[in-house]
Amino acid sequence: MADRSRAMQAQRAEIRFPGTHEGFAQGFARLRSALDAERLEAAPRYNVELVFEEIVANIVSHGAVNGREPDVRVTLEPCSDSIVLTFDDDGVPFDPRGRSDPVHPRSLEEAKVGGFGLMLVRRAASTLDYLRTAEGRNRLTVRVALSSAPSNAPCGRTG
Amino acid sequence: MQMQVKDAGEGLLEVLLVGRLDTPGVDRIETQLTAHLVPRGARAIIDLSQVTFIGSGGIRMFITIARALGRKGAKLVLYGAQPLVGQVFETTSLNDIVPVRLDATAAAAVARG
Repeated sequence: MADRSRAMQAQRAEIRFPGTHEGFAQGFARLRSALDAERLEAAPRYNVELVFEEIVANIVSHGAVNGREPDVRVTLEPCSDSIVLTFDDDGVPFDPRGRSDPVHPRSLEEAKVGGFGLMLVRRAASTLDYLRTAEGRNRLTVRVALSSAPSNAPCGRTG
Repeated sequence: MQMQVKDAGEGLLEVLLVGRLDTPGVDRIETQLTAHLVPRGARAIIDLSQVTFIGSGGIRMFITIARALGRKGAKLVLYGAQPLVGQVFETTSLNDIVPVRLDATAAAAVARG
């Protein structure tokens, strides 16, 4: 209950940065600063950072359109029992929901080195929603539970 | 992300990683770590007890190095992972294809074969 109270007192945070390696590092630093104020337990904090890491790394690596770096906006919204991350970018359209996990490798030789990022996001998230907006932006919304029994409770101070 | 490499004798290298194996962390050490281990086909153990975070970039790095070493008849063994890092190993099944042990003694025994 103490953790829920802290989450409900927390502030919504918005982070905007260019979809470059430098922008990634700056955005990650700002995310971690915002998370410091949340005082989350270790596991949900790890999951929030993991989701940010994998989604933003994917945007930086694959999102550029005709060489133009994407504009990335990330919103961190505390709810009573979860943290909701919204990733909004104007890069290449990408809906991660239909992607399958890598095949379980039988040996080191046949192991793939790609596909783990989305796999980790799916395991860390309780829900994953995607929308291609009318303005031509990807909008991915990821909810990370603060406990093992998440709900769809409303977010923010009024939640 | 910081890295220290020590020769443990009998052809075994001990590597200590300290920090976060996120994208910037992997970018910082991957080339150097690969250069230390792969050209000489080293048997290597990596201490992860001070690694606080790993993402898919770190998993990819370990698979790539372990595979390159395996082709040279050598071996990479990880040990000392913190619980949340260990969960990422389980989710990605890394521990099914790269040996992961609790401590240095067990890791060295596997690496020395």
